[in-house]
Amino acid sequence: MTITHHPDEEMLAAYAAGALDLGQHVAIATHLAACGRCRAFSRVCECVGGAMLEDEAPAALAEGALDRALRRLDAPAPAASAKTQPVADDLPPGLPAFVKGYDFGPWRWIAPRIHVRAIALPEPSPTRVLLLRSAPGTKLIHHEHTGVELTCVLTGAFSHEGGRYGPGDFDLGDPSVEHEPHIEAGPPCICLVAMQGDLKFGGLVGRLMQPFVSF
Amino acid sequence: MTSSGERRRRDDPWAAFVEAISVRQDREAFAALFSHFAPRVTTYLMKNRTSQQQAEEIAQEALLSVWRKAQLYDPRSASVSTWIFTIARNLRIDASRRERRGGAIHVDEAEAEFALDDAPLPDARMAAVQSEARVRDAMRTLSSQQLKVIQMSFFEDKTHGEIARTLQIPLGTVKSRLRLAMNRLRGLLDQDA
Ligand SMILES: [Zn+2]
Repeated sequence: MTITHHPDEEMLAAYAAGALDLGQHVAIATHLAACGRCRAFSRVCECVGGAMLEDEAPAALAEGALDRALRRLDAPAPAASAKTQPVADDLPPGLPAFVKGYDFGPWRWIAPRIHVRAIALPEPSPTRVLLLRSAPGTKLIHHEHTGVELTCVLTGAFSHEGGRYGPGDFDLGDPSVEHEPHIEAGPPCICLVAMQGDLKFGGLVGRLMQPFVSF
Repeated sequence: MTSSGERRRRDDPWAAFVEAISVRQDREAFAALFSHFAPRVTTYLMKNRTSQQQAEEIAQEALLSVWRKAQLYDPRSASVSTWIFTIARNLRIDASRRERRGGAIHVDEAEAEFALDDAPLPDARMAAVQSEARVRDAMRTLSSQQLKVIQMSFFEDKTHGEIARTLQIPLGTVKSRLRLAMNRLRGLLDQDA
């Protein structure tokens, strides 16, 4: 798998610092599951975090903080919240393990040859996450969005003015970019999409999309 | 591999303390780690919109995790300060979620969200990161102005606008310093490519 499109460094640094909202975090983690180069960069950023921690000025702790910690050493660890949710058996390849444990909605038809499947996050996030499945040969309509949109390809491929995007590739859409992706021949193209804001579609398809937009 | 592990241990004085906890539940080693890291974790958290009281509580939890997870620590994959940074980061995320959900239930989601799947990827650049000393070297080549912008932007969760106002520099300067610093860190990986 040759990956040619990556998240930018600032987004990877924000990931490593724990500064992304959960929806964006899911999109970056999905790319990292496939991309050694970005994993390595995120590790570099964690090292930067470690070096900064080392350089922080020590805060004055409340009296007896160390004694309190020492007394807690023998207490049992809090039980891990064991979530053994059944994992849906019809998920596309390439999702990180923690994402597979989320609740996936049913595939829903939203436009000719296009289906979406909502992913329920355990935490309210300004960024929604969904799977988007497009049949080979589809030309996606132009849409505007009010916030950034992060896309990670899981299967199949699409092309637009920015190049060709296959499994593992990452695409950042922002409100100023107008792209009309074309889905390649071959397997259906399934992408994980994390998007902020609302989609605005014109015309008939826009009205068809409304139920999905407000999920 | 063993020799690089040995070298790493010499590079990082704190690795021996974690090992002492792992091997013989050494409370003095814990006290030394706590005294050094808990006040620094507290400072880091307070810069991330956390109250002093809660920051101290999370710092306690972070160091207790060091005690409980000492056997999982691998000095070849990260320095102790980097390991503790990731523990504190995860606990900060969990604590803010617990607060939003009413505070009653224990939340431990962030660790799994940052766990990269086990399947190793064939990428030579991973090897470069094994040598964390090189990251420190690269950081030393960054100007203190560039470091400050990285720190405020990612580790203190400030917007570019807030950074510009705090440092009294133009927004464009914030962006260009960040970009230069990111390129320097990226260059660290591409040397070996
Ligand atoms: Zn990548």
